Amino acid sequence: MMRLLARLSPIVVLLAVWEGAALLHLVKPFLLPAPHVVAGRIWKDVISGQFEMNAALTLYRALIGFAMACLIGVPAGILIASDRFVRWFAEPLVSVGFPMPKIAFLPVFMLWFGVYDVSKIVMVCFAAVFAVVAAAEAGTRGVDKFMLWSARAMGAGRYQLFREVILPAAMPQFLTGMQIALPVSLITAVAAEMLMGGAGLGGAMLAAGNYADSPGVFSGIVQTSVVGLVAVAGMTALRRRLLRWHPEFNPR
Amino acid sequence: MTGSSIGIEIEGVTHGYTPRSGKPTVALDNISLSIRPNEFHALLGPSGCGKSTLLFLIGGFQKIQQGRIRTARGDVTAPGPDRGIVFQNFALFPWKTVIENVRYGLEKKGLKGSEAEARAKHYIDLVHLTGFERSYPAQLSGGMQQRAAIARTLAIDPDILLMDEPFGALDAQTRRIMQEELLAIWRRTSKTVVFVTHDVAEAVFLADTISVMSARPGRIKRLVQAEFNRSDDPHIHKSPAFADMVEQVWDMVRDEVDQARMQGH
Repeated sequence: MMRLLARLSPIVVLLAVWEGAALLHLVKPFLLPAPHVVAGRIWKDVISGQFEMNAALTLYRALIGFAMACLIGVPAGILIASDRFVRWFAEPLVSVGFPMPKIAFLPVFMLWFGVYDVSKIVMVCFAAVFAVVAAAEAGTRGVDKFMLWSARAMGAGRYQLFREVILPAAMPQFLTGMQIALPVSLITAVAAEMLMGGAGLGGAMLAAGNYADSPGVFSGIVQTSVVGLVAVAGMTALRRRLLRWHPEFNPR
Repeated sequence: MTGSSIGIEIEGVTHGYTPRSGKPTVALDNISLSIRPNEFHALLGPSGCGKSTLLFLIGGFQKIQQGRIRTARGDVTAPGPDRGIVFQNFALFPWKTVIENVRYGLEKKGLKGSEAEARAKHYIDLVHLTGFERSYPAQLSGGMQQRAAIARTLAIDPDILLMDEPFGALDAQTRRIMQEELLAIWRRTSKTVVFVTHDVAEAVFLADTISVMSARPGRIKRLVQAEFNRSDDPHIHKSPAFADMVEQVWDMVRDEVDQARMQGH
């Protein structure tokens, strides 16, 4: 508990300085609304259910896209790692795609999939999938040769080798890819909403900005960060649970 | 397979490879070697002499390019549970506990439930890991991890035990203890052991016969009968005869180490 408080103290200090600056009228409230004003707006959104609805909608888009990215990305990474032809074909595509600003594809997806959920979800999946593919490929390729040989010497066949050795051995890397992809999914969902408008955390921020409602914009930022923080904490907890055996959780 | 007249027959094995950048290299050049059943055989040589490659060929992990390797079960073409292997880096499954690691090979053999559990327990006791059955490898020291790896390999009861510098990653004290325990286990279970090492004293202490290998291309330079492993004397490594033998073998290896160094290893 004390440690949590100690870790939160920089944020508390920042908020105090911000509040002080607002109270002393050092900045215009329109440019930087005071924290208590923003907090009041967040509270209002929570009471009215506005926050819950927007967060649920954004999370729905982000998590469906994220799940698709995982379902496509992990098998694709394994295939790229294990098949020479697939690697020859896919490796240049991944190399080009990984550093590309994926959000640039949003107009294309709007054209193909319309202006509602489908285009946003496809956008999220496309943005998130590269990190999953790259990590899954590296994980599969990095499985210790001697571990595979040990299993073969004990009588494991091809399928057993894959299911009982390669999958669990590469699991930490699969999870690392997902841990990178999850915040990317949330960022992309919010960005797509901000560009396309409508409901969701990003859409609410876009609307607030259009109405010059700066407390609304700032409360949107805080709401988005809280949602992101919770999602990332959930992913970390999942990793801790799945990798109880891993050296990172077994300091000697 | 006790009573069979062949342990491992290696006939004219030549093995080469081409590194990604570089010229083709002959790792093993026309190796012929006959290892008796129940013999403890050490492959000794400088790094790059192909001793591990020879071990991996016996294990069936790499394709034999030229020549032939036979055991009591016929020609070696693939890995199999008749040839258990222990690696320097242990190669345990880190997501399995010690007992789950040992059970893995037993389950591949079709053993299930309490039978597999009892057998796994027996081998864990044999390597003195009692009480650590439910530990993950990451929670154990290097020596304990190697004990677990040895238990896992012994549990499938292979005719032949292949060991690739199994104690190389351990500190000096642990290594000594592990050597003594390995000898004790070998005497009791009477397996054919092929033990790769670059440590002369280790080879002399453990082996019936030592193949002293030459640097690239790998050849067997000399066969040395050591047989200190039959002694009951716990201080055998302090005896003059032992020291003489180490000195003698070391002289054979020294030239090869110098040569290997000139080749850039």
